[in-house]
Amino acid sequence: MGVGSVLNQLDAALSDLVGQWNGYSTGIATLLVLVISYSIMTRVDPDIHPMLLARQAQGSPVRQEGESPIYRGNAAPHGMPLNSGLNVKAPGASKWSQGRDGDLRDVWRRVVSGSPSEDGPSAKGRILTVYGREKVTEHKLCDITRAINLIGQHISQHGGNKVAIYLPNSVEFVATLFACSFYGLTAVVLPFDESSDIIVSMLQRSGADTVVTVPGAFPFDGVVKSYPSLKQLVWVVDQGSNHMDWNEVPEGVGGKVNVSTWQDILHDSPVTAGNELPAEGDAKEAKDVVFFWKSRSGSLEELVQFTQKNLVSAISAQLTAVPTTHRFSPADLFLSAAPLSASFPLVLTLAALYSNASVAFNSVAGTSADLALATQGIAPTVVVATPQTLQKTHKESSGKIASLIASTSHWIQTRSLVQNGAMPVASFLASYNDRVKPSVGTTPGKLRLLYVADSAGAGTPVLSELALSDLRVFTGARVIYALTAAKVAGSVAQTQFNDYRVHGDGTGSHFGPPVSSIEVILKDSGSHKTSDDGQKIEGEITVRGPAVSGGVASLGVIGKVREDNVLAYV
Amino acid sequence: MEYVNQRIAQEANRNPQDAFTGLITPLNLILAAITLYATYQLYKPAPPAKLPREPPATVFKTFTPHTLLPYNGLNNMPVYLAVRGRVFDVTSGRNFYGPGGPYENFAGRDASRGLACHSFDEDMLTKDLDGPLDKLDGLGEEEFESLRGWEERFESKYLVVGRLVAVGDK
Repeated sequence: MGVGSVLNQLDAALSDLVGQWNGYSTGIATLLVLVISYSIMTRVDPDIHPMLLARQAQGSPVRQEGESPIYRGNAAPHGMPLNSGLNVKAPGASKWSQGRDGDLRDVWRRVVSGSPSEDGPSAKGRILTVYGREKVTEHKLCDITRAINLIGQHISQHGGNKVAIYLPNSVEFVATLFACSFYGLTAVVLPFDESSDIIVSMLQRSGADTVVTVPGAFPFDGVVKSYPSLKQLVWVVDQGSNHMDWNEVPEGVGGKVNVSTWQDILHDSPVTAGNELPAEGDAKEAKDVVFFWKSRSGSLEELVQFTQKNLVSAISAQLTAVPTTHRFSPADLFLSAAPLSASFPLVLTLAALYSNASVAFNSVAGTSADLALATQGIAPTVVVATPQTLQKTHKESSGKIASLIASTSHWIQTRSLVQNGAMPVASFLASYNDRVKPSVGTTPGKLRLLYVADSAGAGTPVLSELALSDLRVFTGARVIYALTAAKVAGSVAQTQFNDYRVHGDGTGSHFGPPVSSIEVILKDSGSHKTSDDGQKIEGEITVRGPAVSGGVASLGVIGKVREDNVLAYV
Repeated sequence: MEYVNQRIAQEANRNPQDAFTGLITPLNLILAAITLYATYQLYKPAPPAKLPREPPATVFKTFTPHTLLPYNGLNNMPVYLAVRGRVFDVTSGRNFYGPGGPYENFAGRDASRGLACHSFDEDMLTKDLDGPLDKLDGLGEEEFESLRGWEERFESKYLVVGRLVAVGDK
């Protein structure tokens, strides 16, 4: 009976063990059940399948010697052409017909005609200018169309050819840009708030013969003395200074410069003039747009000339970069807190205009604007900001997290983002951190998308993955981090809308897959090369595509392709 | 029945002071360990999902008839064939072009004339590997038609991994 006695002993031992059940055991068992059911009930589905983020771009199956495979984002796979334009169809054409690439004129035409919809009136966005916390003015679309027509006609009639735009972010900036596109003038966009010598040097290099600018910011005397090719000047005068006579030019200075003011040009023509845009069948090619790229503070700006096709391809890439349900729509309010003299914020503004979203302009925008100041007075849903601005915001908000509860609340929200792949839900604990959050706009919680761009080779601060995740928690919005470069309109690569991952300790950073109008190659450079087994892919970033000025360009920085096929700095 | 009576007697004789009433009992320790382990497994931070890298890309090479010859599927080599100066990787069509297949003569060689004339004979291939490439003279319009058809099918199915030049050219 050996087995019998062993079984007896086992039975006795088990009964003893279970017999110890007391109140505390009930408590611990209840705790176990609670933990398991809480985790089941609060389980959220990630916004995007994690495997889709595990490989975000495709490399070509064949590569040239000394180069890496060609990498393209999933929106423009190998074998398909890169996104080259807006697919503008003639009105009334079938939805499935092949459209043409279009140019900036089609962007404004779409703003005026509203978003295409088969039934009912088409939705149109509003154009707003923010003058301060209290004053927000709306501009009528027909007024802006009239301004575009009259300014364009005035400049071209007086022999203008290359128009330099030296304005802060404003309606006049965008209207002058469209006027140049409609009337066959080359637009030269100058970065605002520069010293007199730099302005003169930029004017000389671009060969501009007309300048549209604000009085007070433009050193008229200095420029006229050093730059004799200036033929026309248009002052954009605000309401307060309207009474002064800006047409008068001081004696001895620039007698041959034709000076006029924006308001005068608009008022001198009859009210009915200029309400119609030039006909769509106009086969004249719209001229290029010239930008200046500041590579490093103190060094000379680089002149970059983009054709209309470059810009339109960049706009199309930005439109397709976001999932369909979250794209720009007439319900959005777009604000650029970054200066529009860089191509990335300008391309996003044009993309917002093309999608008939409402667009607001605030002249406070600059490289190191304060986010709260730049967004005051309105409640934007989409904002473009510079990395310096967001770094400041991040530091301020992180500094406010002092207590244990606040840091726990922040930690829980970060976990929701990073581990569960979903935006943090508003809960009681999350609302404890409300005062930590930066005040973006008048109504908290409206911001849904924040764009920020790193300029390749320009020394802008790189935002780490952890900083971006913190910004998502603080602003409650998705953050898209883009890589921009001098010769590329729009961005080279940008992180996906739903990519909230943080790798390791979060100090690394990446820029996501290439956008749908760009393909990226890494050329071997010294020790940074593509290894034969394909595990290490590094080199100098070279880009090709319809959004690149000149077709092919090298960015001049060393990058690598990580395991998930995203682009990053080495 | 005997056993049950024995057990009942055992239980009745137990000393009540031996009962466990405190927090720290073996059972409680086991339950606490299970709870802590479950909490740990549910809430431990997991790194993001990873996929291994794609297989390394083939390097585009310039071949001469000599260097192309080894790529005929023997010795675990991939199967390449050349059509009008472009080298295609037909390893996925090994059953046709590899060793033992009906078109095995084309592997590692310039197959342009053979495809144009729909013939797998030996005399369709260039004999002299050091000489210039087959210039495809003496072929009529329909042969060029069929060659174009073959080329289109190759382009859609197989990858171009190099180009073929004669020995001495580059």
